[in-house]
Amino acid sequence: MTVLDELKEAIINGNAPAAKELTQRGLSDGRRPGEFFPGAIIPAMDEVGRRMRECEFFIPEVLIAARAARASTEILRPLLVGEESVRPAGTIVCGTVKGDLHDIGKNIVAMMLESAGFRIVDLGVDASPEKIVEAVRREQANFVALSALLTTTMVNMKAVIEALTAAGLRDQVKVLVGGAPVTEAWAKSIGADGYGKDAPAAVELARSLVA
Amino acid sequence: MPGNSTHRIVLQPTGAELRAPAGTPLRDPLFEQGVEFPCGGQGRCRGCRVQVLEGTARVNAAQRERLSAGELAAGWRLACQCVLEGDLVIELRQWDAAILADETLFAFKPRSGLGVAVDVGTTTIVAQLLDLETGRVLAVRTALNSQARHGGDVMSRVEFAISPPGQAELEGLIRRQVGALIAQLLFAAAASPKDVCDVVLVGNTVMHHLFCGIDVEPLSHYPFVSSRNGLETLSAGQLDWELPSNTPARFLPCLGGFVGSDILAGLLATRIGESDDLVGLIDLGTNGEIVLGNRRRVLCASTAAGPAFEGARISMGMRASTGAISQVTVENGQLRCHVLGKTEPKGICGSGLVDAVAAGLDLGLISPSGRFANGNSEWELCGGVVLTQRDVRELQLAKAAIASGVSMLRERWGGADPARLYLAGAFGNYVNRASAQRIGLIDYPPDQVQPAGNTALLGAKLALFSLDGEDGAYAGLRKQVEHVSLSADPHFQDIFVQQLTFSENANVCH
Repeated sequence: MTVLDELKEAIINGNAPAAKELTQRGLSDGRRPGEFFPGAIIPAMDEVGRRMRECEFFIPEVLIAARAARASTEILRPLLVGEESVRPAGTIVCGTVKGDLHDIGKNIVAMMLESAGFRIVDLGVDASPEKIVEAVRREQANFVALSALLTTTMVNMKAVIEALTAAGLRDQVKVLVGGAPVTEAWAKSIGADGYGKDAPAAVELARSLVA
Repeated sequence: MPGNSTHRIVLQPTGAELRAPAGTPLRDPLFEQGVEFPCGGQGRCRGCRVQVLEGTARVNAAQRERLSAGELAAGWRLACQCVLEGDLVIELRQWDAAILADETLFAFKPRSGLGVAVDVGTTTIVAQLLDLETGRVLAVRTALNSQARHGGDVMSRVEFAISPPGQAELEGLIRRQVGALIAQLLFAAAASPKDVCDVVLVGNTVMHHLFCGIDVEPLSHYPFVSSRNGLETLSAGQLDWELPSNTPARFLPCLGGFVGSDILAGLLATRIGESDDLVGLIDLGTNGEIVLGNRRRVLCASTAAGPAFEGARISMGMRASTGAISQVTVENGQLRCHVLGKTEPKGICGSGLVDAVAAGLDLGLISPSGRFANGNSEWELCGGVVLTQRDVRELQLAKAAIASGVSMLRERWGGADPARLYLAGAFGNYVNRASAQRIGLIDYPPDQVQPAGNTALLGAKLALFSLDGEDGAYAGLRKQVEHVSLSADPHFQDIFVQQLTFSENANVCH
């Protein structure tokens, strides 16, 4: 088993100390930082996503796996500067919409997107349309990913799209929406570019839109 | 009317027996029992459908239109379209066997006249007529909240209300329904409307606002705070009730957030605010409400547990009615399921679900992560009733919501454990306390946990007798109570995630 295979296993099993140690060992063995993503982190999180879909993994397992992935990416990210092959797949501004404090689903999606190679700007919860517009402009984002867990706050997704349009930024970004009460039909009706029914779907969607 | 021309109707699963003359529309005796006819008995909806278990009820065109051939063959009928032509045993689709109507004895200060206490639940309404001189309960009526067709939980009710004319519609529904229940109570007790001198209502903040005509918009988003939370006094005339027009109807004040006067009434009933010991009260509803306090201060919070305890969103979940697995035990390593109504099992209700998962953990079939240990996606309990992996996940979410609420209030008390925990509400009364501890829903030994019945109704009754000293605003008690917003606490998500798993050992003690 190569160090990358071991790292992949450690991430799936949610072992953050091991993930950290394996990443350091791989680097001192002379591996380039860019190898770790396609070789371990991305396939590990794809596997976590698959297990989550099959109901084999639940929120805690997904979160600890993502935490292990982060232990690895935190070491790698500063070393990636200048490495052509691993430019981020895109910049995603994400957040839970205004009036809504639900965090977990959004965090899982953000961590999975991050592990899939996207650069994430997480605005947290209760994120107002103004705050989102400002972040899109500042970060030159090409995606906005919005989460809502309440039927009463879901309407604020529409407000974000309207604010992006008003700010002249709508053509620059793809808007992805998700969360328990959100449906494909709702996403269409507010003019979103995509709907992810779960975290793995959000990753697939983002990948398909950059391709 | 000669005795031989009346027929007997037995309502399952409660076994209640009614008699009515031959030729009576089935709707009349059922309406008196609190059965709802959502379309007004026009045969346009399927809301009043019943299953005829014994006897016959004729099918008409309206029923052929609304029910499939298979349903008709299985005995399903629309109650509003049937006429009584013989003895019947029927089961009501909308009937909730587990509705609690409190009959606990309580201390009271006699006053003359009659009073009505109403617990306006999100799902269920219970009303009692009392003789204020003797404290005796003269009549009880229960019904499913007629607003329920516009959403099962408080948030979906709020969502319906915020797009006009939703709020007005919900307000009209609940006011008419409580008025009708009061009329039924008076009819049942052969009492006169003019003797009613007081009506006291309790309910969560959304029920309070919708009844009293207060805008629910502030409750639709963070920070979920409404500025009009106090005692609301309306008159029977304003409400269009068949009572003397100046009869007051008082909706008791809310405590904060979604925690309403149902919990204020629970405090009156359990006297937590007078206790030397730290005492807890948990209402295990769709909107879980938690109190932890003593005479010095009382903390309360609400947490969205979702409907799993009521059997909803569970693949074979159902209410606690005939055919529901209500208990699961392990004897000599074998599963034993108790089915309500002694029939073939059709599904599983909340108490059965908690038992089943506890049994699965003890048998090693479910791992502490909640995953089926053998890698299967479902587990057959008995008679074709299965539990799926997703069902276990739903229960994990519900139990984590309650357990993290309790844990966070406990933290604010410096980690002190309550000497006693009262469980309020129907599910709280029926759930096995050892199983609830095993799955970590109520992480306290059974001997510290007491089912307390319908504390909201009991408290509303107590209010009927203590209102003459004050107006029902309970300023002192409300001052003592502090509402804690769980979701606004940055640690909530972490604690919630921790609480999602089960503990390893079968015997957890504190």
